[in-house]
Formats: sequence, structure tokens, C-alpha cells
Amino acid sequence: MISASMFLVGLLQALVILAVAPLFSGFSRVMRAKMHNRRGPSIFQNYRDLAKLMKRQEVVSGQAGWVFRITPYVTLVSMLLVATIIPIVTAQSPFGWAGDLILVVYLVALARFFFSLSGLDAGSSFGGIGAKRELLVAVLIEPVMLLVLFVMALLAGSTNLGVISAKVASGQIPYYTSVWLGMLAFAFASFVEMGKLPFDLAEAEQELQEGPLAEFSGRSLALMKWGIYLKQVVLVSLFLAVFLPFGNVAQSSGLPLLLSALLAVVVFLLKVTVFYFIVSVLENAMARVRFLKASAVTWTALGAAILSFVFYLANV
Amino acid sequence: MDAIQLLLLSMLLFGVGAVASLLFNGFSRVARVTAGLTGAMASGVGLMAAAQAVTGAPPPLEISDPLPFGHFTLQMDGLSTLMVGMISLLGFAVSVYSISYLGQYPNRNLGVLGFFTNLFIAMMLLVVTVANAFYFLIFWEMMTLASYFLVIFESEKKESIQAGYLYMLVAHAGTALIMLSFFAFYLSAGSFDFAAFRQTQLSPTVRNLAFLLAFFGFGAKAGMTPLHIWMPGAYSAAPSHASALMSSVMKKTAIYGILRVCVDFLGASALWWGMLVLFFGALSAVLGVFYALAERDLKRILAYSSVENVGIILLGIGVGMIGLATDQPAVALLGFLAALYHALNHSFFKGLLFLGAGSVDYRLHTRNLNEMGRLGRLMPWTALTFLIGALAVSAIPPFNGFVSEWFTYQAFFAGSGGQDFIVRVSLPLCAVLLSLAGALAVMVAVKMYGGAFAGPARSERAGRASESPGAMLTGMLILAIGCLSLGLGAPLIAPYLANVVTGTLNVPALTVADGLWVYPGETAQAVLSTPLIAILLLGLLAVPVSLVAIYGGHKAGGRVVDDPWACGYGYSSTMSVSASSFDQPIAVTFSGIYRLRSMTQKPLDAIAAGSGRVRQMIAQAEPILESVIRQPTTRVVDYLGQHIQALQMGDIRMYCLYIIFTLIVLLIVIFR
Repeated sequence: MISASMFLVGLLQALVILAVAPLFSGFSRVMRAKMHNRRGPSIFQNYRDLAKLMKRQEVVSGQAGWVFRITPYVTLVSMLLVATIIPIVTAQSPFGWAGDLILVVYLVALARFFFSLSGLDAGSSFGGIGAKRELLVAVLIEPVMLLVLFVMALLAGSTNLGVISAKVASGQIPYYTSVWLGMLAFAFASFVEMGKLPFDLAEAEQELQEGPLAEFSGRSLALMKWGIYLKQVVLVSLFLAVFLPFGNVAQSSGLPLLLSALLAVVVFLLKVTVFYFIVSVLENAMARVRFLKASAVTWTALGAAILSFVFYLANV
Repeated sequence: MDAIQLLLLSMLLFGVGAVASLLFNGFSRVARVTAGLTGAMASGVGLMAAAQAVTGAPPPLEISDPLPFGHFTLQMDGLSTLMVGMISLLGFAVSVYSISYLGQYPNRNLGVLGFFTNLFIAMMLLVVTVANAFYFLIFWEMMTLASYFLVIFESEKKESIQAGYLYMLVAHAGTALIMLSFFAFYLSAGSFDFAAFRQTQLSPTVRNLAFLLAFFGFGAKAGMTPLHIWMPGAYSAAPSHASALMSSVMKKTAIYGILRVCVDFLGASALWWGMLVLFFGALSAVLGVFYALAERDLKRILAYSSVENVGIILLGIGVGMIGLATDQPAVALLGFLAALYHALNHSFFKGLLFLGAGSVDYRLHTRNLNEMGRLGRLMPWTALTFLIGALAVSAIPPFNGFVSEWFTYQAFFAGSGGQDFIVRVSLPLCAVLLSLAGALAVMVAVKMYGGAFAGPARSERAGRASESPGAMLTGMLILAIGCLSLGLGAPLIAPYLANVVTGTLNVPALTVADGLWVYPGETAQAVLSTPLIAILLLGLLAVPVSLVAIYGGHKAGGRVVDDPWACGYGYSSTMSVSASSFDQPIAVTFSGIYRLRSMTQKPLDAIAAGSGRVRQMIAQAEPILESVIRQPTTRVVDYLGQHIQALQMGDIRMYCLYIIFTLIVLLIVIFR
């Protein structure tokens, strides 16, 4: 089941996403500054920050155990694995032999498990409060994501992300009303999961001093931040792979392989940029909400997801 | 020796162990070592019996006996063998664990405790192998009684007695239902033999009745909502090794009962049966985990989490029954496979978590999460095994809980493509509820591990804790290794369980594994490979490690240990988030669900209080006048008073509504 070329594609795409993730977050920072009428940092500032942090002294909480130590690694590794499974430049899921969309949803939970546990482990109150908020977000958002993906899987007849992606790309799953609604709900869910305002509940900078991140410093903080940047791009890619999978290698079959691969990468990066652009505009146009009010908004997403399921049942 | 003979030998050893530990009752140390060692030995022999029966079912053992309706038969078909293996393995780990664990009770009747523990394991083994309804009920009852004595072990505590009483009440109500169900079979079959039950043709009404009686009877023992009320009390009152056994394997005998009667005997022919099981499964899964989150007593959390997991098992059984009723054999196989897999997984991780809770209790003498903390550094092995259990219970890949939930999702997925509209609606919704339960289970697991093992010590005793003795760690390690191997060994376990389903529950075979992969019948639907996921997770570790290496390795910058950040003030451990405030966001967001509980709790309390009052009245022989006239009157007045109060809710709009309502009624009366 494992082909060498797809193995290479999966590994490469994970590394490429890891490499460009700080760039997109930098783009987000630039956008924010522009909307505030500030000059803002360079788009590459995040790389400089990460490089600096890597060499800085690490101050660790005396209360923390080994769970705190391994969390940056667990976060990065689980997100990298998700990045290898999502179809990005190809029509099939590169590491589709490891698992399907259910695995992806639960790998995100693996990262979350350690992220919130590290908040408790450090023993600071900011981390603990951030931890429980992070888990609340999961309770509100995970069912939405799963329902939308389940409906798409039912349309495709498979829970393999590659199959879903390929069928949407080739038009075998046309854009029914249910797909549009699912897209809406999933885009919203991705937005919440990315931790953007007003849903930056766990890492609320102004309120909680970045929640569980508060106790990380130096190398660990660099890895954690990188992991979070990676998670954001991975969530966007998941959305794009399921709902807007155009422009992959299989579609431009007239061209030589290398050229079409390059084209697919460029198209993908453009799509992510557009998504980040919209997200940044939304983020900066909105006010913060009390985190307990977040559920009032997320019910709408669940509503859209359920409507999408109802429309699926009605075949429209 | 064939498997049945090994099983008999194991029974003999359990018997010898039980009697011997009773004889040594005066010498507490000797008693606990005897009971533990014989229990482990007997369980080991039981495990050998299961291992031998896996290769081929042995011929059943029949013993003619003096009773005209009794016909003692022991059999080990696929399902029984699986249960024997599960019970024996847990029995082994728990017996080893108990040798040290019971050292904390030097002045108690440990011989009696050992007697009942060994009897309990032996009776569970007989329950799952006997093939005659009469003896099944006898062993079932003895199992209940033995576990009752384990619950009331600390009998000077009022909670223990109360918990035991409630347990007895619910267990016997359940047994009565099972008895009636078996009697319905007997009337038609003319024999108590399971073989006769299987063959007899019941009329549709009797079939439905037999199904309902058996489902709710066994459901009470399995602890599905709303019959779970006895569990939190009973599990937290019993010593931890006993709660581990009760939660991880005694519940599974009830699952065995449901599968045996509803699927094996009755064939699950009606669609609504499966829908009913599915409904109670979804209800238990979601409510169980919500209630688990609201607790701060470690063992009560685990008890509610068991309600959740029984719900997940029932979801699997429900899909399986729907598959049988709608003639979709692949769906049926996947559903039952998921149910059996989750039952097996749950027995390992929940047993492990209960033993971990016991290990903390052994050192700290508390179950309150608010008095723990920092144990991750002081009890590293307990912490590590507990973390494995916590990851497994929250279905985190590649641990075992994930694999069985994955199969449950796949069963939902396969069933959703069917013809019946009601099935197509409910299965995806059940998948959503399962994912909700999964997200909440992560929260529960983080709360348990975070409260007990992470952060600063929240009590003086927690700060002085040290690692538990070797025998206890051995017991926990066995189960932790079990959790890992059931997860990583999925490609070996899944086909075995599929064989059990095919052989015992009359479902056509389906290929579910190949090489390193498991898949739901066809690879086009989905594939999963837990061994490869584990390898990939470890392999991808190279990326962050080399990033660190590029930037100067671990030497760069160095590391300083300091207090957590407290905005410039001095840090105090009371600043950390306590377990009891952890669930606040959920309590606020889902307040409706908790209101539901307090609403249902009232009548239940009333029943418990009412039956307690009856006992009191008999004991005190109060003056008849008092009990017949005054008490009911005051009770009625009290009741009316309380309920009329409900009308007065202080909302001006409601009062307006009352006025309008009264006006309408009066108008109707006048103008009629």
C-alpha cells in the first residue's frame, strides 16, 4: 500500500508547510498592523523571533514534570503527521495508508491533550485557566468538524481524505447545498480552532498572557510557537483539501510532472494566502467576547453543520 | 488437559485460595499474600484455558445432577473464551496488585476480603461459561453477593453501607428482570439449557418482552443511564482493586449477557431493538462523561467514565443489531466487532486507572483531586501508567481506545448508507455524539491527570508522597502494556474478534485486517494502521530534534528552574488551578444537562429515602397512628408546599401568564 513516491510527497509537504508556517503568521501580523495604520514588522519577523528564542536561556517552572518538557515535541510531531495525511498537491492522501479523517481529528486531540496538560503541569494560574478554555473549544468545535467531514465522507463513500478530495476536485461530488453549508460550518470551525480573535480563548494575550504558553520560554517556546503556526496552516489545508481541492497535480495532466507539481504548490500557497487574508480581516474587524459567550456563536456553526446533514439526507 | 479441564482446575485453585485465606483471617499479612498469590495462580490457569480454547472450542462439559430442571453445562465458544481471557488477565493483574495494596489495612479481616475476592473472580468465570439458565442465575447471584461484600468492606463508614444497599437494590431489580426473561424462554423451550433457548420459536410478543427484560436487566448491571445510579457510590466505596474488577470485568459479564440473549438467542430481528440499544448507548455515553467532569473524587470520576464507556459499547451493539435486522451483515459485524473491541479495551484501561487511583489512595489516603498534585514527580511509575490509561480512555491514537472508537465510527459510516430513513438519520447523529463524548473525555482525562499528578502539591501529604511498592506497580504495568499492545496490535486483535463475532453471533465473515492494516471490510472505505502511526510519530520526532540541534542543541542558552510567573508577586501553590474549578466552562455552557441530573436525582433520592424509611419503620415498630396518619399528612403537606413553591418563580412574565390562564379557564367555565 505504501508507494515510495507518495511517501516522499507526504514528507516533503509536511516539511514545506513547517517551513512556510511562520511566513503566514507573519503575513497575519503585517495585515493586522496595516489595518491599525501601523507600519508593522517585516513579514519575516517570526523567523527571526524563532531563531532568537532557540538560543535563549530557558526558565522552567519548578512545579513542572516531564509532561511539560515533552509537550513542544508532541505538538509538533502530531501536527506534522496530520500534514502528511492531508492531500495538498496531489489528488490522493500521501500518507493515506496511515489513517483517515477520523485519525486526523483525533491527532488534533493528541496535541490538545498535551497542550492543556502542560498548562496545568507548570502550576501557574494563567496556564490552568488557558487549559480549561482550550478544552472547552474542543468540546464546542470537534462535533461540528466531525459532522461536516462525516457528511462529506458519506457523499464520497469513503472516510479517506484523498478520496473525498479527488471526488470534489473531479466534480463527482458537485457543490450541493449541503456542501456549501458544510463548507461554511467547517470554515468557521477552522477559524475558531486557529485561535484567532475573538476565539483566542486559550492563548488570550491580553487576558491570560498566552495561557499555557506563559510558562514556556527559550527553546521550548520556539517549538511551541512553531507548532501553533503549523497547526493553523494545517487546519487551513484540511479545509482546502476537502472543500476547494482544485489545482492539484492530477488536474493539470497536460504539463510535465515537475511543472505541474510546481503549479500545484503555487496554487496551494495562493489559496492559503487568500484564506489568511480573509481571516485577518475578520479577526481585526471583531471585538473580543467573554469566553463563556463563545458557545452562543459556535451553536450557529453546529446549526449549519446539522443543516448540511439535513440537506444531504434530502439529496440537495 | 483441554480448556474446560484447565478452567475447572482454575476454579479449584480459586476455591482453595478462598478457603485458605479465610483460615488465615487472624494473620492479616499471611491472608493477603495467600489470597493474592492463589488468585494470581488461578487466574493464570484461567488464562491458559482461554489460550487453549482460542485455537478451537473444546467439547462442552456436561454433568447430570439431581435437580430435575438443572443440567450443568460448561462451554467455551468464541465469546465465552474471550470473556474468560479478559477476566483471567484482569484477575491476574489485580491479584498481584492486591498483595501490597491491602497492606494499608493491617487491622481488618483481610482473610474474609480475600475469600470474597477469589470467589468473585471465580463466579465471573462461571457466569460466562455456564450454558444453562438456572445455573447462570445462581452464579450471577453469587457474583453479585461477593461483590456486595467487597463494596461494604469498610463497613464502619456510612457511605459504604448506603452504597452497598443501593447496589443490592438495583442489582436485584436487574436480576429479577433477567429471571423473568429466562422464564419466558423456559415456557416455550421446556428446558433451561441455552441450546434449547437458541432453538425455540417464541411468539412475537414474547420475543419483544424477553428482549426488553433481558436488555434492562443486564443494563442495570452494566450501568447504562439511567440505571447507573448505584455505580459512583459502590465504586468509590469498594477498595480500589475490587472497583477495578467490578468496573473492568463485572460490567462486561452484563455486556456478555446482552449479546448472548439479545443477539445469540433472539437473533436481533426487529429494527427497533437496535434503535433502542443505540438510544441508551448514546444517552449513557454523553451523560456519563458530562457527569464525570463534574466530580472531583477520582474514583467517582472513573465510575461515571465507565458509564460513558458502556454507552460506547452499547452504541456498537446497537449498530450491530441494526445491521442484523436490516440484513447488512458487514454493518452487523463491524458493530459487534467495535463493541467487543471496546469492551476489551475498556477492561484494560479502566482497570489500570482504578489501580492508579488506588495507588494514590495508598499513599495519600484521599480520593479528592484537590488534595493531590505533584505526584508525577513523586510517583513517576504510577504517573506514567496512569497517563497511558488516560490517553487510552480519551481515544488518543495510537492507543487502544482509539482503535475501537475508530471501528465504531466505521460501523456508523457503513450503516449510514442503508435504506431505512430512521437509520440514515440516527447513525451520523450518533457519530456526532460520540465525538462530543470524545472531546469531553479528553477534558476528563486532563482533569484527572492534571489534578493528581501535575502542578504543585495541594496538600501536605501530597508533598511527602513516595512511589508505591513493587507488586502494585507490577499490576499496573501489566495493564499498561496491555493497553499499548491492544492498540499497536490492532491488525492481530481485530481479525480474532471478527472471528468471535462470526462464530458466536451468526454473522457472515468479513476481512478486517491485512498485514499492518485494519479496515472495515473493504480498503476503499478506510484503512488504519496503528503500528505505522506509532512509527511515524517516533520518526517525525527527528524534525524538532534536528531543529534544536541546528540551533546549538540543548546546551544553547541553558536551563534555569524558577517559580511560575505570578505577575511579579511571590508564587504560592494555591495560585494553580484546582480540579474543582476545572469544569466551570462546561458547567456554565451546558448548564441544562446538569439541571437535568438534579431533576432526575430527586425522585431517585426519594425512592432510596423511601425504602430506607420502610426499613426504619419495621425496626422501630412505631405507633400505628403515628405512621399511618401523621407522617403521611405531614409528607403530603410538605410535598404540596414544595411543589406549589415551584409556581412562584419570581418572573413577572410568568405571573402574567398565570393571570391570563386563570382568566381563560374562568371564561370557559362561565360561557360553556
